[in-house]
Amino acid sequence: MSTNLATRASGVSNPAGATAPAGNHSALPVKAGGMAKRRRRREARAAFLFLLPDGIGLTVFVGIPILLAIGVSLFSVSGFGDYVYVGLKNFQRMGSDTLLWQSVGVTLTMLIVFVPVTFVVALALAMLVKDRFPGVGVVRAIFFLPNVLSLVVIGVLWQFMLVDKQGVLTNLGGIFGLQDVSWLGTPSLALGTLIVISIWFTMGYQMFLFLGGLTDIPNEYMEAAKIDGASAWQRFTKITWPLLAPTSFFVLVVSIVAAVTGVQAFDLVYILTKGGPANATTTVVFYIYQQAFTFGDYGYAAAITTLLVAFLVIVTGAMLLVTRGGRFNADAD
Amino acid sequence: MPTQTETEVPSMTQAESAQAQISHHAPRTLAASVPRARRRARFASSERRSTIIRAVIAWILALITMFPIIWLIIGALRPADQTFSPGLSSSFTFDNLSQVLTQVPFPLYLMNSAIVSIAVTLAALLFHSMAAYALARLRFTGRGTVFLLMISTMLVSLPVILVPLFMIVKQLGLVDTYAGLIVPVIFNAFGIFLLRQYYLNIPKELEEAAELDGCGYGGIYLHVILPLSKPILASLAVLFFLANWNSFLWPLTITQSPNLDVIQLGISTLQGQYSSAWGLIMAGSLVAAVPTIIVFLLGQRWLVDSLKTTGSKG
Amino acid sequence: MKSPSSQDGPFSALVSRRSLLQGTAGIFALGALAPLLSACSTGGPAGGGTAKEITFWNFYGPAPDNNPQSQWFVKLADDWNATNEVKIKLRYIAQNDYVNGNTLQTAFASGSGPDVFLLSPGDFLRYYNGGVLQELTPKLDPAVVSDFLPGTLDTRKVDDKVFALPMESEPLAMFYSKSAFAEVGLTDADVPKTWDDLLTVAKKLTTPSRFGVGFETTPGYYQNFTWYPFMWEGDGQPVSADAKSSTFNSKAVTDALTFWGDSISTGVAPKKLLGNGGPDLPANLGAGYVAMQQSGVWNIAAMKQMAPNVDYGIFEIPTPSGGTSATTLGGWSFCANAKGGNPSAAADFIAWALGSMSADSIERGRTWNTVAKTNIPVRSSVQDAANAKGAFSDPNMAFFLNVVAPNGRGEPRYPPEIIKPIEDAIQAVQLGGKDAASQAAAASDTINAYLSSYSGAPIV
Repeated sequence: MSTNLATRASGVSNPAGATAPAGNHSALPVKAGGMAKRRRRREARAAFLFLLPDGIGLTVFVGIPILLAIGVSLFSVSGFGDYVYVGLKNFQRMGSDTLLWQSVGVTLTMLIVFVPVTFVVALALAMLVKDRFPGVGVVRAIFFLPNVLSLVVIGVLWQFMLVDKQGVLTNLGGIFGLQDVSWLGTPSLALGTLIVISIWFTMGYQMFLFLGGLTDIPNEYMEAAKIDGASAWQRFTKITWPLLAPTSFFVLVVSIVAAVTGVQAFDLVYILTKGGPANATTTVVFYIYQQAFTFGDYGYAAAITTLLVAFLVIVTGAMLLVTRGGRFNADAD
Repeated sequence: MPTQTETEVPSMTQAESAQAQISHHAPRTLAASVPRARRRARFASSERRSTIIRAVIAWILALITMFPIIWLIIGALRPADQTFSPGLSSSFTFDNLSQVLTQVPFPLYLMNSAIVSIAVTLAALLFHSMAAYALARLRFTGRGTVFLLMISTMLVSLPVILVPLFMIVKQLGLVDTYAGLIVPVIFNAFGIFLLRQYYLNIPKELEEAAELDGCGYGGIYLHVILPLSKPILASLAVLFFLANWNSFLWPLTITQSPNLDVIQLGISTLQGQYSSAWGLIMAGSLVAAVPTIIVFLLGQRWLVDSLKTTGSKG
Repeated sequence: MKSPSSQDGPFSALVSRRSLLQGTAGIFALGALAPLLSACSTGGPAGGGTAKEITFWNFYGPAPDNNPQSQWFVKLADDWNATNEVKIKLRYIAQNDYVNGNTLQTAFASGSGPDVFLLSPGDFLRYYNGGVLQELTPKLDPAVVSDFLPGTLDTRKVDDKVFALPMESEPLAMFYSKSAFAEVGLTDADVPKTWDDLLTVAKKLTTPSRFGVGFETTPGYYQNFTWYPFMWEGDGQPVSADAKSSTFNSKAVTDALTFWGDSISTGVAPKKLLGNGGPDLPANLGAGYVAMQQSGVWNIAAMKQMAPNVDYGIFEIPTPSGGTSATTLGGWSFCANAKGGNPSAAADFIAWALGSMSADSIERGRTWNTVAKTNIPVRSSVQDAANAKGAFSDPNMAFFLNVVAPNGRGEPRYPPEIIKPIEDAIQAVQLGGKDAASQAAAASDTINAYLSSYSGAPIV
C-alpha cells in the first residue's frame, strides 16, 4: 500500500526547484476598493478566532512557563516559594562552575556525534529502501519500530541487554574480546552507548523524512540520468542531494533541537544512568534538572535554561538566515 | 480508506496535476520512441542484481534493528530461572504476562493511558488544524509574527519548564485530574507546523468555489479544509497518540492518586517493586508497547504521507 | 508579507525581518509579566490552616501489589481516620521516583507540598532551612523523647527542638551468598575482616558470570551514605567539628576512595549494579550477580519476599588493617509541612503514629520494624516489645542488633552542596579510575567555598 502511494506521489508533487516554471501559482490575488478592506477585516477576525484555542494554549502552557523560567533566572529561589532578586548573579556564577562546563561538553559531544551520524545513517537507509524489493514495506516499518517504544521501555530493554557479564550484547562483545566491558558503567563509554541507543530509536523517523523527500524526486530524472550513463554516485550527488536540500535542512533542525533538549538528552539519561558514571552523561538539560530538583536552586537552573534557549535560537536562527528560511532555489522570490 | 481523489487533490494545484498527468506517461513514451531503449535493456539485468543486493543488505540491517525488540518478546516469555540464558530458552511461559495483567493493575493503567492519549489527540487535531488553516490560508497583519512565536516554542522541552508549568496548572486547579493530564500537553507547535505546510498546497480555487456557494471562513474550514486533511490528520493522530502514550515525566509530576496512573508510571512502579524479576518487567514493557505498535502499523501508510509533507513541502 | 508558495522551504515565513523584530518585541513585552507571575505564586497557601483532609506522601503504600509495608501504611491511615476529624490521605510514589525524581520538589516549589511526608537525613537541612518543617516537640511527651535511643534524634533536631520523627534505624553491613562461598571452598569462617581480605576473597568469588563483591555505583545520596563507613573507619570526616572548614582532604578519605577504586580496577566489583542498585539485595546477590554485597538491614524482609530460596549470611563492614568497623545508620522519618493545609493536625498525626507512649504506638513501631519490614527499632520500648515477641531470635536480625548497630553513626545531614562534591570524588575514583588524592583535594576546595557562605542550621 505504501509503495503504491509512493509511486503515485512521485508523479504528483514536485520538490522545490524541480518545477520552477510552475512556481508562484498560489500568490493571493490582490483586490482593490472598500469591499476589499471590509473583506480583509472579516478575514482577520476569522483568523483571530481560528488561532484562539492554540494561541491561548501555547501562551499559557508553553510561553508563560518559558518567560517565567527566564524571569526566575534573576532571582534566588529556595525551592520553597521564596524569591529574592539577585540581578545577574546566577549568570555570573556560571563562569566558575566546572560541572556546568563539563555538561556543556557532554551536550556538544552529543550534538557533534549524534546529529551527523544519524543524518548519514538515516539517509543511507532511505536510499536503501526507496525503491521496491520483496518486503520493502516491512523493512521500512521495522526501521521505524524503535521509535514507537517509550523511553521507559527502551531504558529497561537496553539495561537488560547491557548487564555486565550477563547481558546478551555484553556477551556478544565477548566474541570480540570485550567480555569485561561495562558499556553503561565506564565513563569513557557511557555517553557513546547512549548515543548509539539514541541513533537506534531516531534513525527510522529521520529515514521516513528522507523517504518523503526522495519519493518526491521525479522518476524520469533518474531514468534519464541512467540512460545517459550517470553512475549511481553521480546520480546521488547531481540529482538526489540538491533536490533533497529542504528535507535535509528540516532533518538537521529537528535533530539539533532533539540532541540538545530532546528525549535522549533527558529521559534516557534519567532512566539509564542518572548522569553517571562520574558525570559522564550529565547533559546540560539533566544538569538543569539536577540544579532544580536536587539542589532546589531554581534560580540558577533558570539562568542555565535561559542560555540554553538562547543557544538554540541563535543556532537555528543562523541556519534559517544562511539558507534564507530553508529556501534553496534562488528564483523563489 | 480515503478515495484516490481525496488523497491526491490537496497536494497539487491544477497546474501541477496537469503536469502530473504528463509525467505519468512520460517514461513510457520516452522508452517507446527514443532509440535509447536498447541501452536501457542492458541495464535491466544489472539492475535486478543490484535490487537483490539492496534487499539482502536492507533485510540484514532490519533484523539487527529489530533484535532488541525480539529480545524484549523473548524476555517476557522466559521462565524466571532462565532470564540471562544466552540463546532461546528451552521453554516458554505466559506466567509473566498473565501476572502483569492480573496481579498488577495494568488494565487500569492501560485504560488511563488510552483516555489521555485519545483525548489529547482529538483536541490537538481540532485546534492545530484550525490554527494551521488561519496561518496558511487567511491574510492578516502579524501573521508571520504569530507563526514565528508559535514555532519558537518547539525549542523548549518539558524538563526545563517543569516547575513553572506545574505552578500554572496548579493555579488552574488541575493537579491530580484527568484535565491536568490532558490539557497542558495538547498544545504543541510541531502539529501546527506540519498542518500549515500541508494547507499551503491546497489550491485556492477550491476555497473560491466554496465561497461562491455562500460559505464563510468557518464553512470553508469545515467543508473544504477538513475533508481534504484526512490523510495528514490520520498520520498526525498516529504521532500524537504515540507521543502521549509514551509520556512519563508529566504524568509523574501532575498525578497523585493511584487511580490516575498511566502505563509508563506503571512500568516504573513495576521496575521498582519487582526489580529482580526481569521477566515480569519485560512482560510489562511488552504490554505497554503493544498498543503503540498496533497504532503504528495501522497508521503507517498515512505516516509516510505526513512525513513526506514535512520533507519536500515542509 | 509575501505569501508563501509551495516553492518555499520549511521555514520561509520565519525569515521576514519584520516578523523577527515583531517577535522579539513580543517576547520582551511578555517578559515584563514574568516577575508579576512569579510574585503571585510566592504566597502559596497560608500556613496554620485548618484543612479537614491532609495528605501523606510516601513510597510504601498503597502500593499496587499490596505488600506488607503497604498494608502497614494503609492500616496506619485507617486507624487514624477512624477516630479523628482531620482525615489522612495517602499518596504512593514509587521509591525510585520519590528519591531521585521531582514529584516532592515540584510540589514544594510551587507551594503545594504534602502535609506529611517521608524525609531522609540528607534532605533534612534543605527542608529545615526552607522553613517548611513543623516543630514536633510541643506534641511530644518528654518521656517519648528519652525513649528514642541515643543518637537517633540528633540529626532531626535543631536547638534541641525535634523537627522529624524517625520510624526506623537501618544499619549497613556486608551480605554474602553461602552457596557462592561453598562453590569456591570458603566457609563462614572465611568472611573477610580487612579491606585487603575483602579484595582477596572477592577475587576468588569472581567468575565469568558473577562479581565477587558489589558496592553502590549510581551517583547520589545513597552512594555517599554507603561510602561514609569506609571513611570513618580511618577516622576521616568531610567537615570539621565546628562546621567551619572542610577536612575532606585527608589520608582516611583518600584511602577509602582508593579502596573503592581498587574493587573496580581489579575487576571484582561491577561498574553498574542491577535493579534498584545497592539497596536492592534480591536483584543482585539474590540473582547471583554478586557473591557479596554491601547493603542494609531492610533486605532481611526483602529477601524473604523476593528471593526466599537464597541462603545468605552477614558480616561487618571490613576495616583497613588496624581500624575498627563502622557503619551508617540510615532510616527515614515522618515530618510535617509547616506551610501545609493543617500543620498542627499533621504534627498530631506524627506524634500519634510514632511518638506516643501508648501501647498502640509502641505496637505500631514493633510491627513496622520487625514484621512489615526489618529494621532496628529506634525506641527502647519498641525494642523491648519486639524482643518479647522473639523478633531478634532470627540470627540475622540478632547480628544486626547486637553486632552491627552498636558501631553505627547516624547518617549525616550534609546538604546537597556538600553531598555533590563528595559524590563526584567517589564517582571519579571508583568508576573513572582517577587519582584519589587530587579528587579529595578538589572536593575539599568546593566544600570550603560552600561552608564559607553557608547560613542556616548547624550542619554537624
